[in-house]
This record gives sequence, structure tokens and C-alpha cells, in this order.
Amino acid sequence: MRITRRAAVTGLAAGALARPARAASALKVAWNGWPESQVKPLFDAFHAANPDISAPYELIPFAQLFQTLEIRLGARTPEPDVYSCDSPLTASYAVRGHAMALDDWIDKSRFSKAALDAATVRGKLYSAPFCTSSILLFYNRAYFKKAGIEPPSADVTKRWTWEQVVEAGRKMSEPAQNRWGLIIEQAERPYQLLPFGQSLGGVPLSEDGLRATGYIDGPAFVEAFSFLQRMYTEWKIAPPGVFDNNITPDLFGSGQAAMFLGGTFDLDLFRTKYPDLDWGVAPHPYFAKGKPVTPTGSWHIGVNPRTRDKAAVEKFIRFMLSDEAQTAWFKLRPYPPVLNAVWGKVPETFGQPAWQIVRHELANTAMSRPASPGYREFEDLLRVALRDMQAGGDVKTMLTASAGRMDRELAKYK
Amino acid sequence: MRTPAWVPYAFLTPALLGLGLFRVVPIGIALVGGLFGTSLMGETVFRGLGNYAGLAEDPDFWNSVRVTLTFNLIVNPLQVVISFMLAMLMARPGRFVGPLRTAMLLPITVSIALSSVLWNILLDPGFGPVNGLLRALSLPPQPFFRAAHESLASLIALCSWRGTGYWMLFMLAGLGAIPPEVNEAASIDGANWWQRLRFITLPLMRRTLAFVLIADTAVNFLLFAPVYVITNGGPAGSTALLMFEAYRAAFTYLDSGRSLAISSVILVIIAAVATLEMRLFQAEDSA
Repeated sequence: MRITRRAAVTGLAAGALARPARAASALKVAWNGWPESQVKPLFDAFHAANPDISAPYELIPFAQLFQTLEIRLGARTPEPDVYSCDSPLTASYAVRGHAMALDDWIDKSRFSKAALDAATVRGKLYSAPFCTSSILLFYNRAYFKKAGIEPPSADVTKRWTWEQVVEAGRKMSEPAQNRWGLIIEQAERPYQLLPFGQSLGGVPLSEDGLRATGYIDGPAFVEAFSFLQRMYTEWKIAPPGVFDNNITPDLFGSGQAAMFLGGTFDLDLFRTKYPDLDWGVAPHPYFAKGKPVTPTGSWHIGVNPRTRDKAAVEKFIRFMLSDEAQTAWFKLRPYPPVLNAVWGKVPETFGQPAWQIVRHELANTAMSRPASPGYREFEDLLRVALRDMQAGGDVKTMLTASAGRMDRELAKYK
Repeated sequence: MRTPAWVPYAFLTPALLGLGLFRVVPIGIALVGGLFGTSLMGETVFRGLGNYAGLAEDPDFWNSVRVTLTFNLIVNPLQVVISFMLAMLMARPGRFVGPLRTAMLLPITVSIALSSVLWNILLDPGFGPVNGLLRALSLPPQPFFRAAHESLASLIALCSWRGTGYWMLFMLAGLGAIPPEVNEAASIDGANWWQRLRFITLPLMRRTLAFVLIADTAVNFLLFAPVYVITNGGPAGSTALLMFEAYRAAFTYLDSGRSLAISSVILVIIAAVATLEMRLFQAEDSA
């Protein structure tokens, strides 16, 4: 893996080694706080391919990224020229004049439909799809062996139901010993939890994205989130109050859970940091009476319409969306690719069961988060309600109160 | 040689400039900004008292006011009393006083954001060492920040853990400024420990106590980091302090006018409470 990574980046950089690096344009880039070791090679490659453009990037920790961008973009200056845009926030940035339509720079035929959907607002692409995401059910074989349970299959046609997860989880959970049946990686984030309700046919927001009452507090979400709540309060298969997604993968890695609902970004973590862990992957569960729905969407690139150097920004976007850069980025950080072509470029990886599941999910079960200009408000209010639910209380009441607050906040976009 | 009249002003200028730039100007911005709003495209719109009318109708705002007042009503007296008691203990000479004083001061050297992260881990209901200790002692584990009935108390404990050592320093300075002869004279006259505390130490500490109480009040009304890092105002709004609501208005609801209006409300409350506290100590002065 490491050798191929280096080879990919070296290959990208090779073309420009001989040329002097004199930058005529300078782009200010506000980038999600991925590890420097994963970001630098990509930007080095960009600079190698475009020696006349320097693109100093600032890595902003995920937890502060949205606030930082609000301040920077809210100042309505030409900086940052480009920024990491969480795909469901595309509409929010677009309606407030913080994102430029990029249709002229993007050849749509190269991208997966889910990625384009997540970038589209009122028929135009307002963010450049950079990577997407999918969620898998990881399991620890030792737990299943001890309990004498057959682990879930990697076959998408034999996908486990949530009812099966709970039944198995109850046999393997020992809350007093801090050993759990299931840990959800982002246990408070709508990103991972909306599919519970969507599996039962729930629609989180009205079509225009501006009404929550009657949607997020509708019967599907009430039933789904009540089920989710019972995992914490009644069946006790999941640890309540563990919201920090910097900790959850390590809890699974260190053997605290039988199952872990997490992203492809954890595949490498478990392989490298926990080589002794005997784990496997299965497709995302669904409700027996519902249909399979999986989370998707991830990081895109937004362009500040006030940028002083559109030509340089165009080169930057075109580079970041090129087959070469996308393949290199996948090898640096394995998010599911947004380009159809990339799937064919790394056969040794994409042949693995985990990636075959992901490819199936992205094509068949992945459901984007609602495209609402008020997604940020919707997301945060739902997040607060989802946190509170884990501690008990009537789910319908909480969702109705939350939907009322959402409607109040969404009103400003009408 | 006479000092020219402008000299004191020259010395004061840097401090006054700082005060103006970092205190008075932002207060002005908050008060004025609270009357305005921003359209989606960033244009400033005059709303008059519209932001305040919106707050008055918002049950979340009133909950936040209630939580903030409850929090301050408990945390400020508690910190003043504990730091005074600590100072009384630490003011006496003794072999371990030096290291103990240092130990009391250590929490303040850790930034509030970092202490929040640490205590969030320490008090984690499932994986935290504090519950581990409770379990080892066969005591029931506690939810701490994760249950509405314990979250505010946990927040008060965190702030007091961090704050009391700091305020103790001021109390120690105040105690040190009491002339030893006064206490000596009282002892010779037969005053016991309690009488000396009641009639000598406390009256002579009045200014220090007033300062600590008022400064502590201001700090705690502006408390933000632990709520942001640990609870996000929950569970069920039980730790939704006003500063956090102001933050949420600006960064989640993208409504800077409402945020500045909440900031102005906090300002008015602090001014009112501080005035009340000063009255309290002045009244005792004249008595």
C-alpha cells in the first residue's frame, strides 16, 4: 500500500521536477484538517503540475471547520479562494452567495450520480465532488465465536436486519464490563442516523427543504429513533453518551464492541493500528419491514465567487478532479471515489469484499442528506435531539419540539 | 520636583487604549449590532427591537436565562467561599504549604478548553476513570454530563475545580494585607478564633471579597468552553448557558443580530448583578 501511494504521488510530481517553481498566482485554500501526511502530497502534486500557481493550504480541524468558514466567508472578501465544503452544506453556501456554480469546469459524465446529486442546487453544480462516503458494519470475530453466533455475511443479499443486530448484540453485550454489542461511529450525527428512518420510508424534510414538521417527526422517524433509543436504554447493546467520533473507532479497535457501524476511513485504521484484531465487514443493516438505505456524501470543494483569480481556481478544481489526482487521493485516504474511472484503477483494493459492498451501496442504497439551504440548522437541531434521546424520554415529543425549532430557523430561507 | 500633570495619564494610556479597544468597542458593537440583522446575501438590515422581540417569544432563550441564573447563583458564592477557606488554610505557615499552594494553582495553568476535554474523558459515564473508581468501590456509576439532573452540577464542579485556586491567590493577598498586630491585639484581649474571623478578618477582607465576587461573576456569566466542548447545551437544555446560545445563534442559526442581542442581554445582566453585589458590600461598609 505504502509503495503504491508513493509511486502514485511521485508519478504525479515527476513532470515538473525540472521546472523552476515560480508562483505567479497564489490561492488561499481552507482545507479540512486531514493529516498533513495525506494532504501535502496532493498539494505538492498540484504545484508540480502548475508551477505558476502556489496554493498554500490551511488545515482546519473538522470540529472548527464550519465555524471558521462562516467567519471567513461571512466577511465576503476574496479569501479563501477555495474551501472544503461538506456536501450537504452546498445549498447553504449557494443561497448565501458563498459558492459559485461550477458547471463549466466539470464534465458530469465522469462522476457517479450520487456525487452529482449531492453537489446540485436548483439544477446547477455549486460544489466540486471530491470524495464520497459509505458506512459498513464491522464485526469482531472473537465476540461471535465466544457467543456461538454466525457473523453477518458480506453478501448484500444476506444483509442483516436491525432486529438481528439487536438479538445478537444482546447476547454479546456486557455493559458492566464496558463491552458492547454495537458502537455507532457518529452516534449523534444525522449523517449516520437518518438512514434508520429512511429505511422505514421516512423523508426528513419537505421537497423544498424548508419544512420539518410532519417530516422528521413523522411516524417513520419516530418508530426508527425509538428503536435506536431502546438500543441504549432498554436492550443496552450500545454505550450511551459516546459521541466523540475520534474515540469510537478505537473502542472497537481495542475490543470493546462486537459490532461497529463505521466508515471506510476505518479500514486502514484497523489494519494498521490494530493488527491483532480479527475483524470482518458486512453491509449496513436495515429494518425487516423496510428497505436498505445507507449514508453517503462527503467532502466537496467550494469556490468563493469573490475570488480574484478565477483562472487559477479553475486549474485547481480541474486538477483535483482529474483521474490522476483522484486516484492518488484515494490511495492517500480511502474515501469511496466520486469518479467512475477510479474504480477501475486500483483493482487490488477494489476487489476486496469491503469495497465491493461499498460499490453496491453507492449504486443502489445510498441516500443523500436533504438538500436544504438550512441544512446546517436542521443538522444541529436534530443532533441535539438525537443526543437527548439516548438518555431516554419520549421520542415523538422530542422530535416534534425539534421540528418546531427547525421550522422557525428554516423560515428565513423562504 | 513636581510631576507634570500629564504624566499619570501617559502611564494610563496603554491600559485605557486596551480597555477601549477590547472592551468598550466590542460592547458598542454588540449593543448597536443587536438592533440589526443580516440578509442571506450579507446585507445589513435594521430590525430595531425585532431581535429582542424574537428572543422574548423563544422558550429556548428563557430556558437559557433560567439555566444561566441558576448556574451563577450557585457557582459564584460557592467559589468565593471555597477559595476563602482555602486561603485561610494556606495563609498559615507550615511545612507543606508551598507545594500545596502550587497544587491548588495548577488547574488554572490548564486552559479551560483543555480542562473541558480532560474532564469530559474523566467523567465519561462508560469509559471514564471516575466511574471506574466508583465501580471499584462498589458505588453506582454516575451519568455526570449525560443526564439532565447531574449535568449542571458537573459543570459547576468543573468550573470550581479550575477557578478556586485562582481566586485563592487574591484572597491570600487580601489576608496578607491585614496587619498582624490587629489579630495579635485581639488575641491578647481574649478573642477566640471565630470572633477574630467574624470581627477582624472578614471586615478587613471586604474589598477583596467584593472584588473576587464581582470578577468571578463576570467570568462565570461569560462561561462558554465547557458547554461547547462537553454538553452542547444538553441534555434537554440543562446546560444551555446564554453564551452558548449566543454562539449557536451566530454559527448554527447564522443570525448575527440575534447573537449580538443575546450578548447585550448578558451584558445587562452582568451589570445589574455586579451593581447589586457592590451595593451589598457598600451597605456593610456603612453599617
